[in-house]
Amino acid sequence: MNIIVCLKQVPDTETQIKIGSDRQSIVTDDIKWVMNPYDEYGVEEALRLKEKHGGEVTVVGLGPKRVTESIRTALAMGADKGILISDGALDGSDSLAHAKAIAAAIKDLQYDLIFTGQRGVDDDLGIVGATLAEALNIPQLSLIVKVEVAEDGKSVKVQRPIEGETLVITSTLPALITAQKGLNEPRYASLPGIMKAKKKPLAEKSLADLGLNSADFGAGARKMKILELTPPPAREAGKIVPGETPQEKAAQLAKLLHDEAKVL
Amino acid sequence: MAEKFMSMRNLKFLLYEVFDAASLTRYDDYGAYDRKMLDMVLQAAWELAQGILWPHFQEMDRDPPELAGDVVKVHSSVRDVLRTFGEGGWIAMTVPEELDGQQLPQIIADACHFIFCSANYSAAVYPGLCDGAARLIENFGSQALYDAFVPHMRGGRWQGTMALTEPEAGSSLADIVTTAEPTDEGYYRIQGQKIFISGGDHDGVENIVHLMLAKIKGAPAGVKGISLFVVPKKRISETGDLVSNDVVTSGIFHKLGYRGCPIAQLSMGDKEDCRGYLVGEPHNGLRYMFQMMNESRIGVGIGAAAIATAAYYAALEYATIRKQGRMIHEKDPSLPPVPIIQHPDVKRMLLFQRAVVEGSLSLLLQCSQYVDLKRVGSDEETEAYALLLDLLTPVAKSYPSENGILSISQGLQCLGGSGYCDDYPLEQYYRDARIHPIHEGTTGIQGQDLLGRKVMMKGGKAFKLYGEEVRKTISKAVGEERLQIQTRALEEALVLVEEVTAHLKGVAAKGDADKFLADATLYLELFGIVAIAWQWLKQGIVMVKGIDGAASEKEKNFYQGKLYALRFFFAYELPKTAGLARRLMNGDGLTVEMQEAFFKD
Repeated sequence: MNIIVCLKQVPDTETQIKIGSDRQSIVTDDIKWVMNPYDEYGVEEALRLKEKHGGEVTVVGLGPKRVTESIRTALAMGADKGILISDGALDGSDSLAHAKAIAAAIKDLQYDLIFTGQRGVDDDLGIVGATLAEALNIPQLSLIVKVEVAEDGKSVKVQRPIEGETLVITSTLPALITAQKGLNEPRYASLPGIMKAKKKPLAEKSLADLGLNSADFGAGARKMKILELTPPPAREAGKIVPGETPQEKAAQLAKLLHDEAKVL
Repeated sequence: MAEKFMSMRNLKFLLYEVFDAASLTRYDDYGAYDRKMLDMVLQAAWELAQGILWPHFQEMDRDPPELAGDVVKVHSSVRDVLRTFGEGGWIAMTVPEELDGQQLPQIIADACHFIFCSANYSAAVYPGLCDGAARLIENFGSQALYDAFVPHMRGGRWQGTMALTEPEAGSSLADIVTTAEPTDEGYYRIQGQKIFISGGDHDGVENIVHLMLAKIKGAPAGVKGISLFVVPKKRISETGDLVSNDVVTSGIFHKLGYRGCPIAQLSMGDKEDCRGYLVGEPHNGLRYMFQMMNESRIGVGIGAAAIATAAYYAALEYATIRKQGRMIHEKDPSLPPVPIIQHPDVKRMLLFQRAVVEGSLSLLLQCSQYVDLKRVGSDEETEAYALLLDLLTPVAKSYPSENGILSISQGLQCLGGSGYCDDYPLEQYYRDARIHPIHEGTTGIQGQDLLGRKVMMKGGKAFKLYGEEVRKTISKAVGEERLQIQTRALEEALVLVEEVTAHLKGVAAKGDADKFLADATLYLELFGIVAIAWQWLKQGIVMVKGIDGAASEKEKNFYQGKLYALRFFFAYELPKTAGLARRLMNGDGLTVEMQEAFFKD
């Protein structure tokens, strides 16, 4: 079974994000870039399915050259080949345009399953998976925490948590799955894996290579506009409930919940 | 728990900017790698450290190993750590590719070891021991021994150990009494006791493989009669099963620190059924063992620097959050208190830690670089690097070990009462680090090794080469105005070491061996401070260029911070050499003359 995993490179979650002077982008100096954690679940799941059912795992990334580092990491984990969609004209594109470019890179490949993360931890939009499934005209199974491919390799049964329950969905293949936390515990890259990754094919494609028109990409072609980035409001100081005894404190707390928080 | 246990930025500064580790990839031996792959290796090591070592750092200390029946129960993460390290190739980092190893440059392997130890020293010891023991079999054992044991050890399925110490033979290995009796079956019958055996028994693996020193019956007295054996806890039967080999864990020791890893007392041959398999030639055991021992000594230095670096980041985190007191010049008591990092005395304590830790790590990686250059260089270069490595090994073992403790103590001090309590990790770092001046040869032994052997060997050739290396650094720094004071100070300190060395050689020449070596530990201390100053100047040459060319504020701050640590070392630590030299030049033989009876009351 052939599986494609889409990956995005995002700032490490420990990075202190600074908003740029244009108020619409972040300062990228000194950022440590890592594979989007949700995409990493996708890579791991693809590798586990490959180990069970055979086939190949192809990793598709989009962005500047540095994204090859994350593709190499996926190759070191065990993926077979990589594709980097890289083109200056992509700068400033929105997620819809990204999905369009990825769809163009994928459409002629043989695949049974596509994984994306349920969202990127940078913009938190969660658009690429759905848009990509739409563009490829295949079912999308979102926020998935368990994947079972049928023995005959023709269908997939997945689980999606909903409000304390679990939704079990069966779908024909090919299909697109967006990976949610809990799907698996991604493996660590091994030293032999790093060594092997060097020799695995990694193709770079421009928009022209994919038969796409540069004019449909970039800041000017955005359908989603960023008006302004603002930091989240600073957390307000907590309140210590006064009172000499537990009873007094409980009474005070009840009063606060009633009068101020208005939840009682 | 603190959030940070080491600085990848500083590690990469040393690896790439100071020691140019990436250039090693142009040699055939390391040609399979490139800079990007080395980065991936470091990143993978960091992720392992962060993912499976760091989370158990405190827990492994609180829940130490226990002897339950005939097996030592260790923390449940040990099995996972060994398996993950084994499967990931981390127990064979520098092993040649043809032996299924990774053939990484030593400097990168040592950097990874540093990362692991900074996250959780106890946990990092298990795979480290497997690596060292497997290498001994690889280098000196037969193919049959290799096939039977090494793949299991490098796979993290069987634990390797170094079994040297006995109840009556610690620093003096010549006095071991464990015996090996030859049989006609190709094995030896082992009988004896070993103590303080790290990882000597535990339930995280299926078998334990001791690389054990013993004396073959009838062997010559002293170190020349010592042979090396593989003595497994369970031997492989003719049918291929693992069966008991009459190695019994008679106890485990309750230790001050480094509690996540057991040290065991072993009893071999109580039922006269303990088999040992000779490694290499009879009576050559100590020579074989010392090949590993020298590597292990560098490993101890790395462990010490790593624990001290983690302690520094814990102290730094506290110092930036904890608010206490006002600046001395501030007269208004109604002002809010300031974070303690603003107080010069706290900054002094933090700078001391950086000066020790980053200077130590630099010296250790210098040794790693010599190992690599020894491997890829011409015959003449190989000899020179081997001599330098021999000379610096006791220094790279002892300086980080002894000063690591002082450094962590200052870190603990930054936390005041909280540092003394187990709500914060400093007390554990302090306890964990205390082993380092002891194991793999005490500081006293290292001092004697340096002065009595290394400085004197080959007519002082290694010492002379060392002087040339330091002067090379000095001559590179001479034109740099910002390092002028330090360059001159290092030149003077080197001359001082040379004068002291010449003086002590004179004492030796007079045949007064006791007086010659009485203060060898102080000589080691003196030598160590100057060697670290050398490493700081070496870093300094890169730092000043870094400040000038820094691409961002963060980068500039990094180099500035290091430059302050350098200046601190030269201003606060290097002057200590004067006192040490003064003592060493005074040949009054005070400790030689002092009598046992005078110590009472």
